[in-house]
Amino acid sequence: MDTVLAILTVFTQPQLLLLVALGTFAGIYIGAIPGLSVTMAVSILISFTFSWDVYPAISLMVGIYMGGVYGGSRTAILLNIPGSPSAIATAMDGYPMAQKGQAGQAIGVTTVMSFFGGLIGIVVLALAAPFVSAFALSFQPRDYMLLAILGILLVGSLSSGSLVKGIFAGAFGIAIGAVGRDPLTFAERFTFDLRLMEGGISFIAVMIGMFGVSEALQQLHNVDKRAVRQKIDKIIPSFSTIKTYLPLSLQTSSIGVIIGALPGTGGDIAALMAYDHAKRVTKNPEIPFGQGAMEGLVAPETANNAAVGGAFIPMMTLGIPGDAVTAIMIGALFIHGLNPGPMLMIDQPDMFWFIVGALLTANVFMLIFGLTGIKIFTKIVEMPRSIIIPLILLLSIVGAYAVNNAITDVYWMLGFGIFGYFMRHYGYPLGPVILGIILSRMLDDNWRRAIISEREDLGRFFEGILTSPLSLTLFVAVILIFVSQTPIWRAAKTRLLGKATS
Amino acid sequence: MSFKLMGAVMALGLSATIATAQDYPSKEIQGIIQWGAGGSTDTVMRSVTPHAEAALGGTVVMQNMTGAVGAIALNYVVDADADGYTLLMGAENPMIYKVMGLGEEDYSAFTPINLLARGTAMLVANNDAPFDDYAGMLAYIAANPGELKLGATGPGGLPSVITAMMNAVEGDLDVIAVPYDGDGPALTALQGGAIDVMPAVLGAAVEAIRAGSIKPILIFDTQTNATLPDVQIATDANAAYATYLPWGPFFGVFAKNGTPDDVIAKLTAAYATAAEHPDFVALMDSRGFTMMNISGAEADAFLTKWQQGTAWLLDDAGLTQASPTAFGIARPSN
Repeated sequence: MDTVLAILTVFTQPQLLLLVALGTFAGIYIGAIPGLSVTMAVSILISFTFSWDVYPAISLMVGIYMGGVYGGSRTAILLNIPGSPSAIATAMDGYPMAQKGQAGQAIGVTTVMSFFGGLIGIVVLALAAPFVSAFALSFQPRDYMLLAILGILLVGSLSSGSLVKGIFAGAFGIAIGAVGRDPLTFAERFTFDLRLMEGGISFIAVMIGMFGVSEALQQLHNVDKRAVRQKIDKIIPSFSTIKTYLPLSLQTSSIGVIIGALPGTGGDIAALMAYDHAKRVTKNPEIPFGQGAMEGLVAPETANNAAVGGAFIPMMTLGIPGDAVTAIMIGALFIHGLNPGPMLMIDQPDMFWFIVGALLTANVFMLIFGLTGIKIFTKIVEMPRSIIIPLILLLSIVGAYAVNNAITDVYWMLGFGIFGYFMRHYGYPLGPVILGIILSRMLDDNWRRAIISEREDLGRFFEGILTSPLSLTLFVAVILIFVSQTPIWRAAKTRLLGKATS
Repeated sequence: MSFKLMGAVMALGLSATIATAQDYPSKEIQGIIQWGAGGSTDTVMRSVTPHAEAALGGTVVMQNMTGAVGAIALNYVVDADADGYTLLMGAENPMIYKVMGLGEEDYSAFTPINLLARGTAMLVANNDAPFDDYAGMLAYIAANPGELKLGATGPGGLPSVITAMMNAVEGDLDVIAVPYDGDGPALTALQGGAIDVMPAVLGAAVEAIRAGSIKPILIFDTQTNATLPDVQIATDANAAYATYLPWGPFFGVFAKNGTPDDVIAKLTAAYATAAEHPDFVALMDSRGFTMMNISGAEADAFLTKWQQGTAWLLDDAGLTQASPTAFGIARPSN
């Protein structure tokens, strides 16, 4: 009974309800603008809400988080510029849909599916938090390494066209991610003794450049072309559409919750893995992936919103952040006199259930705000390109600067934007570059941790992999996925299937 | 551009500063936080500064500027004008930048406004570790050389100093140092069993200890800790630790050298009042930090002693890039 009351706290106080709504609304727009990140918004809110009570402060933050994760898909679909890293996969099929005049439909499906994914994440948080966090804790450095390798194998899914060029782009991304002082030994890598390289290259700056600026440059080619008229009659997806994607979305939501709950991995990796999963399990998509497949929207959007609930799992049960945003929220709880940690659930269960309630409310508001503003939003794509292009450039510059308040990031962003433009021209996919940067640190750090722990002995390292069920499962998955992408396997498969039919 | 012109510009700037120092602060003050949002430094600064704003009658806009172990933030403030409108909010790390080869500047380029608090280091172990106390841990290391996995956060981090201290006092311990990028991730790994023992700051570990998810081994202090009174202290375990203790990470607000004296005085007064605010004291207490709230000569003396002790400890452990003597850091007298 107390639990129910705590969940409903949000509804009993109109002020809290209003703050969640406000947060969600603001979050959608913060998330949609590349460079304005939820992490940034929440850290600003810590100072802003300093003198508030803890419930209103948390309400606002939860709203912004939920809205922000969803908001990233908006610009990804409409402009091919992911508003946040977790929307990179969304752009791959969302933008082709917008180009066909189906932006309204794409946003509609995205919104409903984000709601669904968010709901799954919250339900798992509410019902199974202790189990999931125990599972997440059992991940050893070698498991994170295997997970990163699994991620890198996604290059195949992310490169339309030449796989070789995709691998090149991925490797390039891994190298970019390694620039700067190595966080484990502080040794300089690829810095060429330049002070500005010491801090590394901001991943967000690269992303904004590669997607935002290079897209703007690309659009210059057809500056005189008339924009595609958008159909806005079928915004809310029909029940049968939702039912079709229900099995897939359950799978991708599970991926989202687990990846979100793992400390050190968040919605970005979850969305990319879910996209890859969708591509693998969908045998005959109505429309091929990369050209506007609905599955390509459903998978990443359910996963990244499910990762929100997931990220709260280790935060609420152990005081360990599941991602950057929850790390800041832990700081906020400290400032408001709470002691986030394993005892929080025991000492103050109300706080846990209040956050569950706030997340649920934010999820509902996300659905409402998401579905109501679509008509105005789709007008963005119908604007003349001579207005859109300068607008994209402006947003990109502001966004890149805002990440770290550093003008250097703007230069990186512009540089990578121009580089990305040429990459597009020569048929190099951009997705794998970003994938490489995201996974670079995770792969490198955890490989080193794993091998150092085994006294730099490969024999002991593999013994460790083979004796742990979790590591073994991941290892087998890596091998199977790798082999399934080789020509030998495909040849063997055709032969086997051929025999079966003949 | 002649030197005369530059001199004139500087004089103009200086006179402008003097003119505005009377009504300082006349605009927003920038507070540059060396570490990321949500970390210890961030939490401390964001909770003390609003009280300082009230005392100062101005606004301090705080920004996190991360990278290169905080050197990027430090260099940013060094490059700014010494007018009291750009403050550095940092931790202990810059004191060893020079010897670690991480930068050319340290807090000697700054005037301490307030050294707010210091943390206490301790050893914590995974619950499944085959020992429950410090003596047991040493015996385990002796019996199983090269097997114990000790968490680390890179050269110059708290674990590296504590490990150097242990090696100096107990003789070289044969352990594996597994590096993590911060004590948060390392403590997570400790609970998951990826490492066996972690030297951590007490405040970061205390909640997990209370919940029984990790076990305390030793507190690096000379006096029994009020938060964890039952845990053995280092000087009881081995009296030789007294040479290096008390030692701990600290948090401070700094202004660049050359900032007008009355501005320094105003800021110092504001932060001194803020650090006495009951909310702040309660927060620091709950996170296991020891309040210092010192400034002026007292703060300078603390910084000098801290730098001497730590730099030489790291140098003796062979972790430094350059000898402390190269930067005029004297070996501690005792």
